[in-house]
Amino acid sequence: MKRFGIAEALREAIQEEMERDNRVFCIGEDIAVPGGWGGAFTVTLGLEKKFPDRMLDVPIAELGFFGVAIGAALMGMRPIVDVQYGDFLLLASDQIINNAAKMCYMSGGRAKVPLVMRAPIGATGRGAQHAQSLERFFTGVPGLKIVAPSNAYDAKGLLKAAVRDDNPVLMFEHKLLYGSRGARAEPGATDATSEIPEEDYTVPLDKAVRRREGSHVTILAWLLMLHHATAAANILSNEGIEVEVLDVRSLSPLDYETIGTSVQKTRRAIIVEEGPKAGGVGAELAAGIMERFGKNLLSPVTRVASPDIPVPFTPILENAYRPDVARIVDAVRRVVTS
Amino acid sequence: MKMPDLATTDSDIRLLRWFSQPGQAVQRGQPLFEVETDKAISQVESIATGILKEVRAPADSLVSAGQVIAVFELQSQGSGTSAIDPAPITASPVKVIASAPSAVAQKILGRGSELARDKIQGPALQPLAPAITYERSFLLSLYERMVLIREFEERVKFLFLEGTMPGTIHQCQGQEATAVGVCFALQPDDWITSTFRGHGHALAKGLTPQELLDELFGAITGCCKGKGGSMHVGNMDKGMVPGIAIVGGGIPLAAGMALAFKMQKSPRIAACFFGDGAVAEGAFHEGVNMAALWNLPVIFVCENNLYGASTHISKVMRNTRVSDRAAAYGFRGETVDGNDVLAVYEATRQAAVDCRAGNGPVLLELLTYRRTGHSRRDPCHYQPTDERELWFSRDPLDRFADWMSQNVAVSSSLLAQVKARVEAQINEAVRKAKEAPLPTLNDLNTDVFA
Repeated sequence: MKRFGIAEALREAIQEEMERDNRVFCIGEDIAVPGGWGGAFTVTLGLEKKFPDRMLDVPIAELGFFGVAIGAALMGMRPIVDVQYGDFLLLASDQIINNAAKMCYMSGGRAKVPLVMRAPIGATGRGAQHAQSLERFFTGVPGLKIVAPSNAYDAKGLLKAAVRDDNPVLMFEHKLLYGSRGARAEPGATDATSEIPEEDYTVPLDKAVRRREGSHVTILAWLLMLHHATAAANILSNEGIEVEVLDVRSLSPLDYETIGTSVQKTRRAIIVEEGPKAGGVGAELAAGIMERFGKNLLSPVTRVASPDIPVPFTPILENAYRPDVARIVDAVRRVVTS
Repeated sequence: MKMPDLATTDSDIRLLRWFSQPGQAVQRGQPLFEVETDKAISQVESIATGILKEVRAPADSLVSAGQVIAVFELQSQGSGTSAIDPAPITASPVKVIASAPSAVAQKILGRGSELARDKIQGPALQPLAPAITYERSFLLSLYERMVLIREFEERVKFLFLEGTMPGTIHQCQGQEATAVGVCFALQPDDWITSTFRGHGHALAKGLTPQELLDELFGAITGCCKGKGGSMHVGNMDKGMVPGIAIVGGGIPLAAGMALAFKMQKSPRIAACFFGDGAVAEGAFHEGVNMAALWNLPVIFVCENNLYGASTHISKVMRNTRVSDRAAAYGFRGETVDGNDVLAVYEATRQAAVDCRAGNGPVLLELLTYRRTGHSRRDPCHYQPTDERELWFSRDPLDRFADWMSQNVAVSSSLLAQVKARVEAQINEAVRKAKEAPLPTLNDLNTDVFA
């Protein structure tokens, strides 16, 4: 087995799927430029040499090229389209939400959009418009599947599953988890590497997974926050508080079966999310947990999230924006003693 | 006849005056009375042919939607018999007699830029002069398909007014030659994308009146199993993607479909229908730019009917010649008389040849006109009367019928037979559609995902 970071794992997933099925192609900005970067976060680096006809560089026209990808998918191709920063997805919203997500239903099941979309998100010192967590704008759109891998193993398996699924799948990736190296390395990155098996494997698109067993409280998190939650759990263990950490991983649909098993055991739930508290994915999770399992809980579901502000630039404020290990530890202590 | 629901708000409906008196004969389609809502004053057409027996709401009185306001004694309007009225049913009470082309050419419209005036006086007024020789049967098939679209849309209009058809409709009477001319120049396995005004495109592409009517009635036997409706008609087995109701939204899709054909090394092409209003959308710019950049086999078909909803084209762009834009992206654009079905057919054939040869996209601007409202509740008061008369004199069906009579020895009784056949087909489809099974609640949550 080899140890890969998320960028490498995604690159391998894309390569293997393109070798396996010649309907698969990539389309995005700066993804296939000889001597270029392989996309802003190196994911497609080198693939332009292996697949010169199936790596398409596009003009800066997100609405347009997402529409192009959807049109190609309608005709049986299996595109992987990406935005350079998740914030740019908003330009493509009409095509994603009004076209891709609805085409199957409004055709009475006769039209299919086997499309994979990829978007890097998270606050990384670049300022408010290159920093948002965009999941909230697309979860709850009927017809769209949404995943968010916290580690390389999941990233590779989820991407392969997404390519093989006949529906539009949107994968959110965190900029601080790519493990990119060299000139494109991210300051402040977190280690999200995993052992990657040699054999072909996929990860189901609709399942959450328990990362750490515990009994006193369940923390639900995804992407970077999953790592902070794990770190918090390790600290709390020294105080005799055993935190169960759940990697939500599938943001649409939400896996209430796995979530329920955990929450009904611990009877306390905390959701940790990067992004403003109001209207986040955590809001949907909190409501969903309360509806299904609220009667058994020892305390109300709590959310640890960013303040309701755009992302500030200056590091002291951006660090306050991003939920950190200390805030998570604090929240757990309060919930467990309430 | 019940008062149709014309108000888009809960305002009062006031019946102002009747155009016919009890005892008088009326024709289906003839204006019967005038109403006022908070939106507009409009005329409402009679839904039946016969004698107006009784008027149940006096002039200048408030009426409510659904209230019985008139009673007719019907005459049978048989189809397939010799007593066919050869005059087509029109939405307008004015039967325009086409004047000599040169006289009409001098008519100055009060609106529009110099460029718009040039367009209207220009190619639209040349006599039909096709460049290739046609089989008589092919010409008749073009005509019959245009009649099918016109009769379908007229029938749907009345079904909607009757109150039996749910939802809304965006109709295309007057734009039959654009749909038929383009679609008949495509191969059966070529694809089209369409808009919320897609009934004509669907019929031209080969969807049946039955599957469309079933869909408009919301039946499970509809082309989209009742889940799409009027704005999303399509059939993936007949090369039509469900209509995209977001203006301009289909343009990048069509480019993407053409990209797939190119990557698949297939000879297929895509034709993308959109209106003059869509040209302002960013999606137009982005879609045509990429199509040109990658030499994609897509024909961008702009049906320029001078209006985006109720707004005249001169109010939304400085250069109103849509075809000029192609050159800016490095590909070929052409303006065509959109009410000349043979001109449209020939332009599309050439464009298809260019696309299949790998020369990249073509932009066809088809000059045409909507004889009907933007959507069914729209009485078109923003269309000046002289403009309407001018364009009605260029009606695509009348012009083609006249031309065929003069050039192909087609008798008026043959054309009448075409109309009768179409009417019979539509009558049968309506009868079946009204009884077609609806989806059940078990169908509510299906087809969200493939």
